[in-house]
Amino acid sequence: MAEDEAIFDPTLKKKKKKKKTAFDIDSVLAESTGENDNSNQGINTEVENKDDDQDDANIEIDLDFSKKKKKKKKPFNLEELDGALPDVKEDTTNETNQNQDDTVLDDNLDIELDFSKTKKKKKKKKDLDELIGEAEEKQEDKENVEDNSVTWQGSDRDYTYDELLTRVFEIMRDKNPDMVAGKKQKFVMRPPQVVRIGTKKTSFANFTEICKMLHRQPKHLLDFLLAELGTSGSVDGNSQLIIKGRFQQKQIENVLRRYIKEYVTCHTCRSPDTILQKDTRLFFLQCETCGSRCSVASIKSGFQAVTSKRAAIRAKTA
Amino acid sequence: MSIQNLQTFDPFADANKGADDDVQDGLVHIRIQQRNGRKTLTTVQGLSSDYDLKKIVRACKKEFACNGTVIEHPEYGEVLQLQGDQRENICQWLTKAGLAKPDQLKVHGF
Repeated sequence: MAEDEAIFDPTLKKKKKKKKTAFDIDSVLAESTGENDNSNQGINTEVENKDDDQDDANIEIDLDFSKKKKKKKKPFNLEELDGALPDVKEDTTNETNQNQDDTVLDDNLDIELDFSKTKKKKKKKKDLDELIGEAEEKQEDKENVEDNSVTWQGSDRDYTYDELLTRVFEIMRDKNPDMVAGKKQKFVMRPPQVVRIGTKKTSFANFTEICKMLHRQPKHLLDFLLAELGTSGSVDGNSQLIIKGRFQQKQIENVLRRYIKEYVTCHTCRSPDTILQKDTRLFFLQCETCGSRCSVASIKSGFQAVTSKRAAIRAKTA
Repeated sequence: MSIQNLQTFDPFADANKGADDDVQDGLVHIRIQQRNGRKTLTTVQGLSSDYDLKKIVRACKKEFACNGTVIEHPEYGEVLQLQGDQRENICQWLTKAGLAKPDQLKVHGF
């Protein structure tokens, strides 16, 4: 511990300066006017700005930068930089270590850690300007940070589960904003084209197209549709599905939605990027995103009541 | 402080207790089938044979103002069959009567 303090003490002094620079950057971001302050701080801000630029340009290089800085400067700065690098996975472990170290440190540092967090957010926003919805989320995050994850850091009291949960989610979002985007990403489907043929049959015109979009065998989807609707049907020459019975587009959509929920989206991460494979009579859903693999229910049509004329059935069988 | 691993634990405690308060296990499939015209049939498959399906169908017919019957199927056992689209009704009724939990009901069809 003595060594640690020896390392951290000079950083404390530096951090005071750093704090000011953080303010400067904020003001620069807000007013977008370059204020030249003292020479020392000016240099610092320049370094920061450079880092920002390279954030956009190349992550690899940035990683090197942060590594170097880690050795030279204090963990506080490193954390900022790490926060600015969304995709660097190596640093997650580093960062958690740093956080633990920070919590060990005294109250002064905690206050400054607040600044780092807020600053991280600001930088983040700048980086992710393209994602519009993100900004709001970030603001919420910031509030969360101030409300939850920091409240217990200075004090002796035990952290609650909720606080830790919000904290871990916040770190996750910081590390890979792609995941946040993925969460919001919607699975857009083309609506099924359902046309009535005569009075008793329905045509599902873009059936094969939808199968291709879902990356599923037409036979599998056909089986499911017919089992759910409790009817019979077949694919005709124009690759459209003819179903017996009257169905509206809304109804087919409902069934399709159920199919996608059960057989297309991953049950763990809900990503639609999955493969359905048959393995020893069972269907398994393999997710390409998270790698999870789970079995899905087999398609069973179940009990079918007799709806046609019994005399006709008797005539057929006899 | 006691060691968790050394405490006695009866792994069959759950089994001896029996099924929890009369609610059956296994899924209840509720399906709809189109007949001629606008007419439909609702079938309820998978109700436990512990219950008297005839009494259930009698109550349902009265409640939903529809006709219905119990059909013996060699594979699926006794199946309730009601006239018309009674999917919503039967779901509510089964949960209200305590015959099945909402997550045991599986509604098929459009």
